[in-house]
Amino acid sequence: MTMTTIEGGTPSGEPPTVAPRARNRILPSPVSGQEFVLLGVIALMWIVLAFTTPAFMTAGSIQPLLVATAPIALIGIGMTIIIITGGIDVSVGGAIMVCAVTTAKTLVDQSLSLPVAVLLALFVGAVLGTINGLLIAYGRVHAIIITFGTANLFQFLGLQIFGSSTVNGIPQTFAFFGRGVSGRSFGIPHAFLITIVIGAFVWWYLRHTPGGRHFYAIGGDPHAARLAGVRVQRRILLAYLITGLLVGLASCFVIAQGTSTLDQTVGSGKELAVIAAVVIGGTSIMGGRGSVLGTLLGALLVQTVTSGVTQLGWSSQLSDLFVGIFIIVAVGADLLRQRARRSA
Amino acid sequence: MSTAPVTGSGPGVRPPAEPGQESVASRVVRALLTQRIVLLAVLIVIVVALFFIMDANDYLTAPYDSDYMAASLINAVPLAMLGLAELLVILSGRGGIDLSVGAIVSLAGMVFGFAYGQWGWPLWLAILLTAAFGGLCGALNGFLIAYIGFPALIATLATFYAFKSLAIVINSQRPISTKPIQELFSISRSVELPLIGQQLPNVPLGIFTFLVPTVIVVWILLARTSYGRRLYATGTNDIAAKWAGLPVRDTRFKAYVYAGVISGFVAVVTVGQFASARPEAGVSGSGMALPAITIAVLGGVAITGGIGRVAGVVLATLLIVWLNAGILLAFVGNAGSQYQLFALGTVLIFAALLNGITNRRYGGSR
Repeated sequence: MTMTTIEGGTPSGEPPTVAPRARNRILPSPVSGQEFVLLGVIALMWIVLAFTTPAFMTAGSIQPLLVATAPIALIGIGMTIIIITGGIDVSVGGAIMVCAVTTAKTLVDQSLSLPVAVLLALFVGAVLGTINGLLIAYGRVHAIIITFGTANLFQFLGLQIFGSSTVNGIPQTFAFFGRGVSGRSFGIPHAFLITIVIGAFVWWYLRHTPGGRHFYAIGGDPHAARLAGVRVQRRILLAYLITGLLVGLASCFVIAQGTSTLDQTVGSGKELAVIAAVVIGGTSIMGGRGSVLGTLLGALLVQTVTSGVTQLGWSSQLSDLFVGIFIIVAVGADLLRQRARRSA
Repeated sequence: MSTAPVTGSGPGVRPPAEPGQESVASRVVRALLTQRIVLLAVLIVIVVALFFIMDANDYLTAPYDSDYMAASLINAVPLAMLGLAELLVILSGRGGIDLSVGAIVSLAGMVFGFAYGQWGWPLWLAILLTAAFGGLCGALNGFLIAYIGFPALIATLATFYAFKSLAIVINSQRPISTKPIQELFSISRSVELPLIGQQLPNVPLGIFTFLVPTVIVVWILLARTSYGRRLYATGTNDIAAKWAGLPVRDTRFKAYVYAGVISGFVAVVTVGQFASARPEAGVSGSGMALPAITIAVLGGVAITGGIGRVAGVVLATLLIVWLNAGILLAFVGNAGSQYQLFALGTVLIFAALLNGITNRRYGGSR
């Protein structure tokens, strides 16, 4: 979308007849309007929750919230890149299942050290991501169809590896990522810290490197990107590969958060939760626009809603209703702002 | 595909295949690749023949015969109906898709449970209320997408969450299975056809009461009404349709309303099938929406809109239902349901890749 190069720059008060002058700054501002709104909403919710439920603003409540945010936010980082290129991946739920069960089973059978176990999960995730990427980039089929197909295949694969209904007796190898004391430094959960570090890196990569800008170019117009010298197919493959790697790491977090038992529902429905976090964060589903910062805030918002609903003593099922409403409000606000910008 | 204006087919031009000069083999390949209905019909024959052969050689745990095939059609009722709902929505174009159909089935099913099971409404009135309620849910989708301009994926993702949550909260997670609901199970029993029924296997009643009417109505809507032409036009190119004076927003809006109404009917079928209005009926596991979208895509509906036919969706349903029924017999225990996932995924990717090849070689499929 070429609009992004000049948007943020023109004050809305300027008369529309004046053509926007070329400026030195070709990047949109580091924090978009959507992200300010999200920050405000999250802050408001935290304040309200702090006053209504005394237990909310305690470490014992915030720490699990941050731990639970981590896997969704982490996969959301990769999903953001995919959606920026104009694609989508609805198979991440199945991919989590395959990565988690493979890693968990190997941990039970032969006690691996932490780095080896993480590498194994990353490897499995990378393979699954590559399958998606190859089919989408070189099969030239719409991403949603391919990933609906691979979602079924990954679920099949995961269930086959499960064999029985659960994996029992998983050792505490991943305690470093977990909810316990060994999962925290200075009171902040490691899983959340790692997510923030990776998020910051990808945020910088997407904004400030040519390779990162190529993803936006592909999402804006793949043909134009190709003519401009972007190797579109390789870039798309890379987007799915990155997501696969992040799914692998997120699976480690998922195992760490659970008990010593892993059951067959692991990962189910996560694909929609991730997509919800990404779109609440202001990434356009049409491609070409979006940021990792928004996704991180979106994931935090969704998890705050879930946690808040439980702490207020409402039915936990009600949190989905609020997630739905937040998607409508967040995306609706974005649509209105775009419309205002276009008519201004 | 750049089609240069052909004035007398020169020797260098790759011919757009004139039928008379083709060999029989290439014509068959062409028909298989470009006409999804031909491909699906051939696949159905292959699948059924394969399972008959396996049955004859005693590889299956139970006989795979015409009675079994007819009985398995009960699974086709919700699948084909939701596939048709997705057909309408995807046809409307601009990324049209409806992730919320499963959640509408859950919520409308609970409404049906209240009306018929608890308030004691007559059956026909309860069914009408359920369909109308489904239409209302669809209207919310349609309003957000057609009039406000939400991308369909996002709007229906949001309503999926909202409806799913409401369906569970509305009766505090409890299913409704009072006496009238339990007796409703009779709509999924098998019946003998009149006149020629002696020679044919018994067919589940839901086929005649719900599926066949829906198929006929949707077919008439798409192929024989001006609304159908408007829908195809809108889906193919909504800007052109707008300049041609068509009510683009209204057309798109109605597609989502119709999909909601169909989901309402599916809710009644599902309640009857389980003899209970279950709050998570349409969203448990991978839900009802994903298989329905899969069926539609397999049936040749282009995800970009404007292309797709009722017959394709129906044949795709038959293929998947009979394939699944056979797989259940081919494996012992739980493994069968897992291999069904494998089969669905493989068939979908295969069909999608085939679409890609077709688009490049023949300039599109029908």
